[in-house]
Amino acid sequence: MLITENITKSFGGIKAVDACSIEVKQGSITGLIGPNGSGKTTLFNIITGFYQPDAGSIHFNQQPIQGLKPSRICHKGIGRTFQITRLFWKMTVLENLIVPVKQIGWRTLLSQGVKKHEEEHAMELLDWVGLSQYRDTEVRKLSFGQQKLIELIAVLMSDPELILLDEPAGGVNPVMIEKMMEMVEDLNRQGKTFLLVEHNMRLVMELCQHIIVLDHGQKIAEGIPSEVQQNPLVLEAYLGSTQNVNAGA
Amino acid sequence: MTIPSFHLFIQTLILGVLVGGVYALMSSGLTLIFGVMRVINVAHGAILILGAFITYVLFQNFQIDPIVSIVITMPLLFGVGWLIQRYILSRIESPEQTSVLVTFALALIMEGILGAIFHTTIRSVKPDYATDAIILASYRFPVTRLMGFASALIVILCLNLILYYTNIGRAIRATMQDPRAAQLVGINVSKISAFAFALGVSTAAAGGSLLSMIYSFNPSSQTDWIAKTLSIIVLGGMGSLPGALVAALILGVMEQLTAIMITLYWSPIVFYFFLFITLIIRPQGLMGEIIREKG
Amino acid sequence: MEKIRIAKVVLPIVLLGILLVYPLVETSQYYQHIMVMTLMAAVMASSWNIIGGYAGYTSLGHAAFFGLGGYLVAWTHNEYGWHPFVSTWFLALVVAGVALAVGWIALRTQGSAFVVVTIAVIFIFRLLALNLSAITNGAQGLTQPRPGWGGVQWSPELMKVPFHYIMLLLLCLTIYSSWRIRQSKFGMGLIAIREDEGKAEAVGIDTMLYKVLAFGISAYFIGVAGGIYSYFFTYIDPGFVFDIFVSVTMVLIAILGGRGTLWGPVLGAFIMQPLANWVVSEFGGTQIHLTVFGGILLFVMLFMPQGILPALNEFLMRWNSKTRSASAN
Repeated sequence: MLITENITKSFGGIKAVDACSIEVKQGSITGLIGPNGSGKTTLFNIITGFYQPDAGSIHFNQQPIQGLKPSRICHKGIGRTFQITRLFWKMTVLENLIVPVKQIGWRTLLSQGVKKHEEEHAMELLDWVGLSQYRDTEVRKLSFGQQKLIELIAVLMSDPELILLDEPAGGVNPVMIEKMMEMVEDLNRQGKTFLLVEHNMRLVMELCQHIIVLDHGQKIAEGIPSEVQQNPLVLEAYLGSTQNVNAGA
Repeated sequence: MTIPSFHLFIQTLILGVLVGGVYALMSSGLTLIFGVMRVINVAHGAILILGAFITYVLFQNFQIDPIVSIVITMPLLFGVGWLIQRYILSRIESPEQTSVLVTFALALIMEGILGAIFHTTIRSVKPDYATDAIILASYRFPVTRLMGFASALIVILCLNLILYYTNIGRAIRATMQDPRAAQLVGINVSKISAFAFALGVSTAAAGGSLLSMIYSFNPSSQTDWIAKTLSIIVLGGMGSLPGALVAALILGVMEQLTAIMITLYWSPIVFYFFLFITLIIRPQGLMGEIIREKG
Repeated sequence: MEKIRIAKVVLPIVLLGILLVYPLVETSQYYQHIMVMTLMAAVMASSWNIIGGYAGYTSLGHAAFFGLGGYLVAWTHNEYGWHPFVSTWFLALVVAGVALAVGWIALRTQGSAFVVVTIAVIFIFRLLALNLSAITNGAQGLTQPRPGWGGVQWSPELMKVPFHYIMLLLLCLTIYSSWRIRQSKFGMGLIAIREDEGKAEAVGIDTMLYKVLAFGISAYFIGVAGGIYSYFFTYIDPGFVFDIFVSVTMVLIAILGGRGTLWGPVLGAFIMQPLANWVVSEFGGTQIHLTVFGGILLFVMLFMPQGILPALNEFLMRWNSKTRSASAN
């Protein structure tokens, strides 16, 4: 579904991503792991159009998407969350869910801000995560975990085919992590494809069917969880740096 | 459009470089302040004019040579800059958004006061050597421009000495590169910002003193000067001192060439043209850093 | 809360009523003049608010569109005899078009760089107006015949009245448009851009398109106002209109009243314009009015950057919850 070929990106002399070629198969939950600084978020930013790659190509459903604006990529069916949760803080929960735009049209622009069916769709999603009572609350007043959930379901509002999650479990309590994992599996059963960056190894090993490992901007390994876990290159990349890997946490 | 003769072309280049040096001095403070505080000090033009007026007063009343008066205007406006930063700018919550309006307010306040005192009469400082020139190989080197260029270089040199050979200079450069990292190594970023702002303002004071003898001015000239200096630092790369120097020389020369080849009245367009082109084609300017887009 | 909602509907209607009968009641030309200027200030600030308030892009360049509107109207009036009260509505479309082009370039920058670029726009327009003197008459500017209709000049006593009504019409249109934008997806998008432009882009909002559109629309009403202005004063010259101060005034008014709100700019205009008039009449000879404006701008930016209306709103909400909890006890 998503294929990147030889993507390279440098920042002032440092290669953040180095001839990286990965493939995300349709309907899969693919994990993207690697030590800090290995280029995972940079790759995300390139895929979603926030950075332009210096070289390489990206194809989504056989269509080239490198060089497109993030909003165009969103319309093509890719949604993403951010490593540090990003929401429209002063807007209400409902507004945060309504703002995402599925497509552009002149009539859409001038039309009513909050349409009936959009509101219904938003309430459905809110019910699903049990947050419908916060509908008119400003998101900045919610707890961290609740905000993360809102960010996730807001992405769902534009009905993407591929969802990129950037450290969804970051700073979240174990109960919430369980809940998120269930949500991802649920959505995956409904046909959504996932690519997630995560440091929480347990989540990655349990949730992902396929794992890609990056180090220093290059892909050093990939395969099913059990293979990757035992791959000596992977272990060296993690333990060789000052990273502590919570293999069992 | 008139193509100049070779002689006129070289003469224009000379004038352009000489005036470019003064432009460099005028802009270095602005780019320094931006580099340290990420603030575009729109009051910079007003500071230049303030420096020019102080020089004017010193010259009219005490016959102090404009170049000598730099010794007075610099420390004086250093103090003013420090006060502004300490009591006004430090109060701003999100400096990048609101600082432009705040500094613009300061510019208005200054322009109003200067206007009330000096009215809109156009002034300039004319020392004895105002019309003198040194002739070298049949080219004219106006004394005012020459002295201006030399003084500008000296002040820029001192600025560089401060930045590269003192502790506080090192702290400033560290803050310019990464304020958070600077804090982590124990640099008091707010004090450094105050110092850097004051330093930037004082170099503008020196620039103003030189301005007074090269150009004519009145309080409302400040808007022309902020436009020019902003164009220079954008072309050079905001936050880059060497960039400001290079850009100032380029624009100084281009301005003179435009004045000769088209007309004097169109020459300001050079600055606006480069401002626009730079922001469109290469926003980081010649030597600036690429500001990473927040993904 | 209910009271606030009722007030939001009733107050504007009352205001409209007052403004409709104003010139009939207040016959002093001086005060009629101030009211016309106040209405114009409200138009300009409300229009600016679309890009500066909703989208959060502080443009200090809108004076360029004001002046452009004025020049287009003056020129077509002198060349073709087009009456400003009719032509300005169409010529402002040209102004909006120019603004779309300018915005397309300027909006590639953000934050303080954007402000700088918009300042440069004014300088460029001024330079063009000064130097293309074959069309613009250079520094001498363009004059127009004294206001009238169909060849008949309006009598001096009634001169200001038609301007009052056309400005009032313009203000109603501007407010209506601002309101419609606010309620629409377009408006929500602009606000999202203001809150977090990267995130807005990530959720599918084509930020460049939205911003450029907002920029163009915001220039339209200001262009109309400029056209009427050049007729009101029967005179326009580059220094008069292509002046950062004109931009700063509309920005200050919008911020003072409440940037990003619907009525804030109007409130700001009704406070600032009479005040400005007073300051200029008291101290006009000197430049000290600049200092007063600068001082007010500084004060607002440092101590109440959100403006009067939002501050008032907060105050009322807090007062409301206090009285409610008091009565509950």
